[in-house]
Amino acid sequence: MAGTSQKKLNLKLKVWRQKSNKDQGSFVEINAEGVSEDASFLEMLDQVNESLIKKGDDPIAFDHDCREGICGSCGFMINGNAHGPQKGTTVCQLHMRAFKDGDSIVLEPWRATAFPVIKDLMVNRSAFDRIISAGGFISVDTGNAPDANGLPVPKPDADEAFANATCIGCGACVASCKNASAMLFTSAKVSHLALLPQGQVEKTERVLRMVAQMDSEGFGSCTSTGACSAACPKEIKLTSIARMNRELLAATLNKKEAVEGDGV
Amino acid sequence: MAVASARSFLLTSIGKKYLMGLTGLIWAGFVFAHMAGNMLIFVGADAYNKYGHFLTSGYFIYVAEAVLVLSLLVHVGCAISLTIENRAARPTRYAVTPNGSKGVTLASMTMAFHGSIILVFIITHLITFKFGTYYETTVDGVVMRDLHRLMIEVFQNPTYVFWYVISLVLLGFHLSHGVGSIFQSLGLRNDRTAPTIQKASCLYGVVVAAGFLSQPIYVFFFAG
Amino acid sequence: MSQKLDSQVPSGDISEKWTKHKFNMKLVNPANKRKHTIIVVGTGLAGASAAASLGELGYNVKAFCVHESPRRAHSVAAQGGINAAKNYKNDGDSVYRLFYDTVKGGDFRAREANVHRLAEISTSIIDQCVAQGVPFAREYGGLLSNRSFGGAQVSRTFYARGQTGQQLLIGAYQAMMRQVDRKQVELFTRREMLDLVIVEGKARGIVVRNLLSGAIESYSADSVILATGGYSNVFFLSTNAMACAVTAAWRAHKKGAFFANPCFTQIHPTCIPVAGEMQSKLTLMSESLRNDGRVWVPKTAGDKRHPSQIPDNERDYYLERVYPSFGNLAPRDIASRQAKFAVDSGRGVGPTGVAVYLDFRDAINRLGKKAISERYGNLFQMYAKITGEDPYEVPMRMFPAPHYTMGGLWVDYNLMSTVPGLFVAGEANFSDHGANRLGASALMQGLADGYFVLPYTIGNYLANTKTDKLETSHDAFKGAENAVKSEISKLMNIKGNRSVDSFHKELGRTMWEYCGMSRSAEGLKKALGDISKLREEFWTNVRVPGDASYVNPELEKACRVADFLEQGELMCQDALERNESCGGHFREEYQTPDNEAKRDDENFCHVAAWEFQGVGKKAQLHKEELKFENVKLSTRSYK
Repeated sequence: MAGTSQKKLNLKLKVWRQKSNKDQGSFVEINAEGVSEDASFLEMLDQVNESLIKKGDDPIAFDHDCREGICGSCGFMINGNAHGPQKGTTVCQLHMRAFKDGDSIVLEPWRATAFPVIKDLMVNRSAFDRIISAGGFISVDTGNAPDANGLPVPKPDADEAFANATCIGCGACVASCKNASAMLFTSAKVSHLALLPQGQVEKTERVLRMVAQMDSEGFGSCTSTGACSAACPKEIKLTSIARMNRELLAATLNKKEAVEGDGV
Repeated sequence: MAVASARSFLLTSIGKKYLMGLTGLIWAGFVFAHMAGNMLIFVGADAYNKYGHFLTSGYFIYVAEAVLVLSLLVHVGCAISLTIENRAARPTRYAVTPNGSKGVTLASMTMAFHGSIILVFIITHLITFKFGTYYETTVDGVVMRDLHRLMIEVFQNPTYVFWYVISLVLLGFHLSHGVGSIFQSLGLRNDRTAPTIQKASCLYGVVVAAGFLSQPIYVFFFAG
Repeated sequence: MSQKLDSQVPSGDISEKWTKHKFNMKLVNPANKRKHTIIVVGTGLAGASAAASLGELGYNVKAFCVHESPRRAHSVAAQGGINAAKNYKNDGDSVYRLFYDTVKGGDFRAREANVHRLAEISTSIIDQCVAQGVPFAREYGGLLSNRSFGGAQVSRTFYARGQTGQQLLIGAYQAMMRQVDRKQVELFTRREMLDLVIVEGKARGIVVRNLLSGAIESYSADSVILATGGYSNVFFLSTNAMACAVTAAWRAHKKGAFFANPCFTQIHPTCIPVAGEMQSKLTLMSESLRNDGRVWVPKTAGDKRHPSQIPDNERDYYLERVYPSFGNLAPRDIASRQAKFAVDSGRGVGPTGVAVYLDFRDAINRLGKKAISERYGNLFQMYAKITGEDPYEVPMRMFPAPHYTMGGLWVDYNLMSTVPGLFVAGEANFSDHGANRLGASALMQGLADGYFVLPYTIGNYLANTKTDKLETSHDAFKGAENAVKSEISKLMNIKGNRSVDSFHKELGRTMWEYCGMSRSAEGLKKALGDISKLREEFWTNVRVPGDASYVNPELEKACRVADFLEQGELMCQDALERNESCGGHFREEYQTPDNEAKRDDENFCHVAAWEFQGVGKKAQLHKEELKFENVKLSTRSYK
């Protein structure tokens, strides 16, 4: 029962320390002592940082914000697994009761050319924003919308679209893929919008542009290992990628050009 | 579809995967047929040789060979191109690799490795058999190549059998991931079919590898 | 009424005010819109929706956020839902009822006209979001599904499982990214606003710290919108994300924007209780859980039996007992207070004794585990991950935690602060929720402000105001930059012995103890002294490691805590000044015999707006009297 356990853990951390993108990084061993089993993984790092600060050292930098698994800020490799050993869990939701006293834990930042390291465990994931801005939306200006119930959506479609829309953009898919592929991320957005009737109008243009942007960011390709989906804290399915592949072929076959010069 | 958009499609990472998938499909079909045909070993030398003769007579063989060679070149070409891109996308390896519930199959992680071995195998295999010693025999009054004799000879050589076994196990491995992956790349996989495809893919790899392996092992141990 | 506070509420019937006002406002013609630049600070629901809508209209928008991506703003964490007076359920809902419920839920401390506008707009928000592709929950017939929420007797809450905030934010984010693609919105991520720049009495720009490079940068504009969220993190432990801060709003306050009703904070009744010393934040469990979960504690104090061994007749389902008509769906302030009373009476549960049960046993028996999992699956999962307990088997343990702040920068009907050209939207302003916010109304307000109010009122401001081109080389920018730089170097050079977090935690404990769920004059006075001492120590003994010229999360925290140390004092001041109990503000001295909040409409039916006078100096109070012409002032009862 939470809060009842008074067990404290002593852990050996092997943390990737890197001052900046220009500096070389290396692993540094740091001990984490007296960690409560009820603490979250990030609270354990808070505790380590507190002691580093006391010693006059630079605390470990890592991205984090909501600490309830929804903002997508946090994420790094814990013993080779994105977000740690538990499925469907972000680092901030991972609690220390998943570890044993005396464990050694290796912490590494996401590694991908498209995600340059900023500092320690922080990386730059702005490539994801650029993929979204390349068509990951439905073009509807504010104030033009018809009544919400005017367009019924079959429940299975709505549910499936929702499942894809739960992506938090944390980058675990890219990090865990041996090719640093962003297919799961991109396909989740393509799927979310392609499954809804509202998304049909732009579906051709959307998938073509998003895939082009994804490729230009320097992500690798998909070799269907399934590592992305296994690491995804929102458990987005590999079949989303198949859907995107399908959409891309269909889009290539169906692409039409709008007539220029009529004000569009 | 205009040529330009076809070209731009095929240049996307997904487009290349389509090519990998289609050419992989052709080869997956070919190896199965090849394996099944070779089972005539168990029927007898004449049946085996007649089958070989039948395949090589006429124009069919040229068309088939052209398709296979072209597919292989595209398959390997895309593989090399994608591997280079993928290495560039992830130049740094992790100190620890994904494991436990977040681990993935060994086959899926090592496609480029066994792919390369299989390529070498295909070349040596062609040298040994297609361009190997030409024995002649006469079956039912027709003069034809005695491939059966060559095969029996080759499979007496333990080194060759060993290499053959290794390569075909890897082929099975390659297929066990590759066949399922074809459906994924071509966008034919969905939540309903995914588990079946997964199982079928493994089964396909096992059947093809086991079928092929039964031949040299049979020859080596029993038909010497 | 203070001279300085003109609410700009249009005249006329309440239901026609907004329509009339929209018509009376001046317009900026399309060719001129592109000549105007608007800064939007914050990219949560209010900020992203404002940036998107203003971009669509043709303005040049510069959007700033502290996160690496706008999609990470804390709106993303809202779980339960969004209210709208659609009356899709045919259960008697209407714009007027939503208006009525919100005014009453806010314990009569909100501006009627604003609330009515909010209720009117609510229906368009749902339409807009559905058109954007927000995957709301649906029925098998394909139509939208609704559920009920605290403080309402109709089902008007639209939701997307337990991730409504995420889905709405992604909708707004995508709409904004579309404008980024069209170059109408320029995005500045990892930037923290550290000062507001005022030129000739008008808000004309901001100074930010680039959190990656450490550079201090200036940006000018014709108008500035703050959509920077609330200040619950003054309590250190709250349901807010770690980066949520009062900083942007506070810096604007120090430049002349009045801060209204800072003591109106919402303590959310259902949060996972504190487990240990190192706890860094609290996790909320959606109010929607109270639709099916029943809240209880043992009848006898000190009953330490396992919950499954406590029979029904020895359980006190106190919300159902005290509020038979609303039951477990009593509004948040009331539910929180009752939980506190239960714990104070020694009947708290769990290892710490500071929790109450939220039990799904009966709902699971009635509807089956599958139905419950469909409704709340992800919340149950979240609870299990944090506590290591399975809520399908053992009742959840809950305790109230700071969650939302109704107070914020004072704005008029146009959402403009007391600094001309500075607009404030979403949780950062004080406007619509009075002394207590009803569940599922925050998302509604954020989006209403951003999509449907600001695009009109900013246009009106720009059409009526002459703004000359302004370079960031102007003295006002240089002065602000220098002030920020010297503050940062001061923080870096203290090199004391205590970490930033240790100060923040101490401030939080003081605030929770004396300015939390219940407050007293005596306690507040003590808090004022303690905070002032703590602030002094902070500025002489804090340790900020690293250097200021690169990524430095400790420095970021230090800047935020420095502001909380000033703002916390204002909260206590406001709580001390407000000699009544209302909504989330509960003064022990002012309660009815059955422990309900006792309002004093005679003396406190006003908005308390505070004008900054200097650090450590008592802020000056201005009052905006509130008139209730439509909803009759009455004692709020949910019995």
